[in-house]
Amino acid sequence: MAAAASVPVPRGPAAESPVSKATPVSKAVRRDWAVGYTMVAPVVLGALAFVVLPLGMVVWYSLHEWNVLAGTFTFAGTANYERLLADPGLADSLLASLWFSIGLVVLNITLALLLAVLLDQKLPGTTTFRTFFFSPVVVSLVAWTIVWSFLLQADGGINGFLSTLGLEGPNWLRHETTAMLSVIVVQVFKNVGLNMILFLAALQGVPVELQEAARLDGAGAWRRFRSITLPMISPTILLVSIITIVGSLEVFAQIDVLTGGGPGNSTTVLVYYLYQQAFRFNEFGYASAIAVLLFVIVLVLTLLQWQSRKRWVFHEV
Amino acid sequence: MHTPIRRPRAAAAAAALATALTLTACSAGEPAALGDPETPSEPVELRMTVWTADENHLALFQEIGDAYAEENPELVSGVTFETVPFEDYTTTLTTQLAGGNPPDLAWVLESYAPEFVSSGALADLRPVLESAEGYDVDDLVPSTLELWQDGDGLYAYPFSNSPFGVFVNTDQISAAGQENPADLVASGEWTFDAARDIAAATAEDSGKQGLVVRDFDYQLWENLSTVWDGWGAAPWSEDGTQCTFTDPEMVEAMQWIHDATFDDGAMPGPGTTADFFAGDAAMTITQISRASALDGSFEWDLLPLPAGPAGQQNVIGQAGIGVFTQGENPDVAADFLASFTSPANAEKLATYFPPPRASLLDAGTLSAANPLLSEEQLQTVVVDGIEGAVTKPVHQNFAKLSETVRAQLDAMWTEDADVAAVLDETCAVIQPLLEE
Amino acid sequence: MKSEVMPPAGGNHPGAERSGGRPGAERPGATAPGAQNEPSMILGGPRQDRPPPDRPHVSRAGLRARRRWARGSLIALLLLLSIPFVFPTWWMATSSLKPMSEILQAVPTVWPQDPTFEAYGQVFALQPFAQQYWNSLYIAAVVTIGTMLVAAMAGYAFARIRFPGANALFVLVLAGLLVPSEVTIVPLFRIVNSLGLIDTHWPLIVIPVLGAPAVLAVFIMRQFFLALPVELEEAGRMDGLGRWGIFWRIALPLSRSALGAVAIFTFLKSWNLYLEPIVYLSSKDNFTLPQALTQYVDAYGGPMWNVQLAATTLTVLPVLAVFLVAQRQFVQGLAHTGLKG
Repeated sequence: MAAAASVPVPRGPAAESPVSKATPVSKAVRRDWAVGYTMVAPVVLGALAFVVLPLGMVVWYSLHEWNVLAGTFTFAGTANYERLLADPGLADSLLASLWFSIGLVVLNITLALLLAVLLDQKLPGTTTFRTFFFSPVVVSLVAWTIVWSFLLQADGGINGFLSTLGLEGPNWLRHETTAMLSVIVVQVFKNVGLNMILFLAALQGVPVELQEAARLDGAGAWRRFRSITLPMISPTILLVSIITIVGSLEVFAQIDVLTGGGPGNSTTVLVYYLYQQAFRFNEFGYASAIAVLLFVIVLVLTLLQWQSRKRWVFHEV
Repeated sequence: MHTPIRRPRAAAAAAALATALTLTACSAGEPAALGDPETPSEPVELRMTVWTADENHLALFQEIGDAYAEENPELVSGVTFETVPFEDYTTTLTTQLAGGNPPDLAWVLESYAPEFVSSGALADLRPVLESAEGYDVDDLVPSTLELWQDGDGLYAYPFSNSPFGVFVNTDQISAAGQENPADLVASGEWTFDAARDIAAATAEDSGKQGLVVRDFDYQLWENLSTVWDGWGAAPWSEDGTQCTFTDPEMVEAMQWIHDATFDDGAMPGPGTTADFFAGDAAMTITQISRASALDGSFEWDLLPLPAGPAGQQNVIGQAGIGVFTQGENPDVAADFLASFTSPANAEKLATYFPPPRASLLDAGTLSAANPLLSEEQLQTVVVDGIEGAVTKPVHQNFAKLSETVRAQLDAMWTEDADVAAVLDETCAVIQPLLEE
Repeated sequence: MKSEVMPPAGGNHPGAERSGGRPGAERPGATAPGAQNEPSMILGGPRQDRPPPDRPHVSRAGLRARRRWARGSLIALLLLLSIPFVFPTWWMATSSLKPMSEILQAVPTVWPQDPTFEAYGQVFALQPFAQQYWNSLYIAAVVTIGTMLVAAMAGYAFARIRFPGANALFVLVLAGLLVPSEVTIVPLFRIVNSLGLIDTHWPLIVIPVLGAPAVLAVFIMRQFFLALPVELEEAGRMDGLGRWGIFWRIALPLSRSALGAVAIFTFLKSWNLYLEPIVYLSSKDNFTLPQALTQYVDAYGGPMWNVQLAATTLTVLPVLAVFLVAQRQFVQGLAHTGLKG
């Protein structure tokens, strides 16, 4: 490699500090920029071709009345968006999505953190338990959901187990609250392993010295957890919650297998609604408008989360 | 699109956009009638999507396809049969249509038939079939074609006509000391009330379930039509414009189903799935093609649907094959379909699928295809079952109706539900959809 | 005064109900009935196990007994928690040895009444399963390697090189994280179709490596490189390495752990990809595993459960085995990444 002794190695987060336009730019710096552009070129071009372009097409579709079966594609202006505003089904599904996402994120993160903390105790058998908790992540979603649909039936395995304890379980998938809860819990068990691993890794990255110092200061374990561990792993919590929220908006197969969106419309979340409109009702234009809405929602949520990080995320790297 | 795109990408992106966005809107409205296939400039490759993955089915299809390609080398270079999983069938088909890569021919689900037929997505086959040599269109049983017609046009060939019948677990029924349903059929007393009583008593005795309307599962409510047809009830008027869930017959039939479930315990309640073929239930209403799921672990019989207050009504489940107008060579595809379903080939297909041809509908021909069923069962359930049979409810707007009604009926499936009130509400909600 | 660190005997349910929404709760175990308030065990890893010097009142033996008790309770809790995670997988694996009617029983049987391996034979008889296994394996491998490479480069550049527009480009790339695949499947299909790549493996390789699925990987790599001390690169610079040289010879080798995380994420995602193969692929020889599983159906489209479950088991067990072996390295690897926001 040619000697380029003067490659500038910036200190600190480069991307955060924009280049001042006034500074004259040396040849070496320009060469460094070129390397930068080359390195990001694949993902940037990929994002343009496989994210921005398809999104643009979806926006374009959303301005049309598109019946796939008939092959009609006519410009409809903002008609689909006006329909969004007046659609009671959409309001229901937004509400369902809201409950689903909140429930999923809270349960998922709580359980993931609890499991990670338990597994961080260096107990015998930790390796095995770790594999247990992680195993659903690799199991096919369909197989996973089907087993649970058996277990959650009125006379299924869970209520059978409860009756041996003298309890009468509800008809899980047939009541609005328990149906939503069931879908959430099944999803949490499926994916919590991945988040658990992330937390576990984060916990192991917390410097022992800090803990020791706090302990010597007489801080109790819970206090140490709250004042040291949580802040230290808060960046991971942010990352995990972003991934989980975004993931929660993509839930589809689980709802299809477990509840079909019911009872009533109580588990018809936004993506399920979108899917119905597009692939069952052949309303591609309208489905595209919902897709645009979905994208905007995810975007706003993520931005809010990202913005709020400064308040609760302890250190930004 | 006014998103600024970096220069070097602009050309390529614009090109991709142009190709991807170009939507041919030409096939809208009246579907073009098909004539004799004009010989294409070079032989084409035909593609048919199916949802079966059974290797025997596929081998038979391929055999017929290869024979056609051999006879018509100037038209086609080959026919491929593409299996799409049943669960994702319509999704995939729709994506292929939307993506500009429709198959030439496709199996069409019964419940989507009116949407496919009326949208203009499928080509009119009648002229092609009528002009095909030796095809004998009049041999097709008229009741099997009803669903696939619009005016004079015939938009798909109903290659599979599987009647609904009642499978009974005679082991469980006799253990409960109940009368053999076959005797009731013989004496003309095979009614829904009788079936309910036997089911309730057997369920009580076995600790399992009584009568299961298969695939209903409190989701696919259209399967209940096998019951309410006995009351002469229907969800909407024949022309599809008026909701008839509130008609007295329907209210009575639904009340019967509700009470059989919640008062008598004759039918499994919501959230309880019982598989008859696993020995979990005394009887089940389903298509006879499900006989293949019987593994000999109990004694069983197959009977026609019971009679309701309005008499006995046979019901069939169908599947059709259609030609997509948006395909590249609809003429050639239609010609192939005529050959695929010619009398000779229809007889081969009858090995697996009860055909719509009167000449093939006899117990002798069908028994080869259904070794598990006796000729008597085939005669009473299949042959008699196809003549004069109706299909499950369908509508041009069926997908939406199905989903909306499902959500409404959920309110009915509780012990103390007011059936009439739920049905009133259901009609109020779906009437606008019927008029759409 | 008894130090708060000292566990009262029988502490067994540490912070079971500790939810992120109640930061003020001082007694986390209190909401779980029967749970003793024993927060100290939460963090009582070996590094904290040494008794601090200021503990004159409790005998060593008593302490050890208590600790053994606490550990036993924790293990019991872990065992209990394992059930909902393990049972479905267990059921899946054992059900592949059952006949259909037993599989469909509403109350699942834990062990087959009459185990048979017949379904495993059918897995290979009904479809070119070995070929499909290979398809999934090589696609996942190519996607994983491709993603690691692409994400490492992009992550490095976004973290280290101050080129104009870096922020804007990063945001552009991040957008991919926010787009559910259901949203873009139709336009992507049109693009793939217009390129004539239907029924090839290209869309299953190129789109994940360059498109939305790679974004998380880019994000992880960027965070890692941000956390990596710049000083480590100084030495390379002194030795006269250029930017590429620093990346290849210093940064990349140092990022093994983050790459490991990216690898496992990416591999799993590709391995389990479902909707896309169904939409893009049409011939059986090209199928991937999740898609192949759906093809084990009887003549009327009803699933052959035992064969499906046997095939599913065959797809799950190797991945689990790899995880079992590699997990320690994987977790430790992640621990050292800059997975910190």
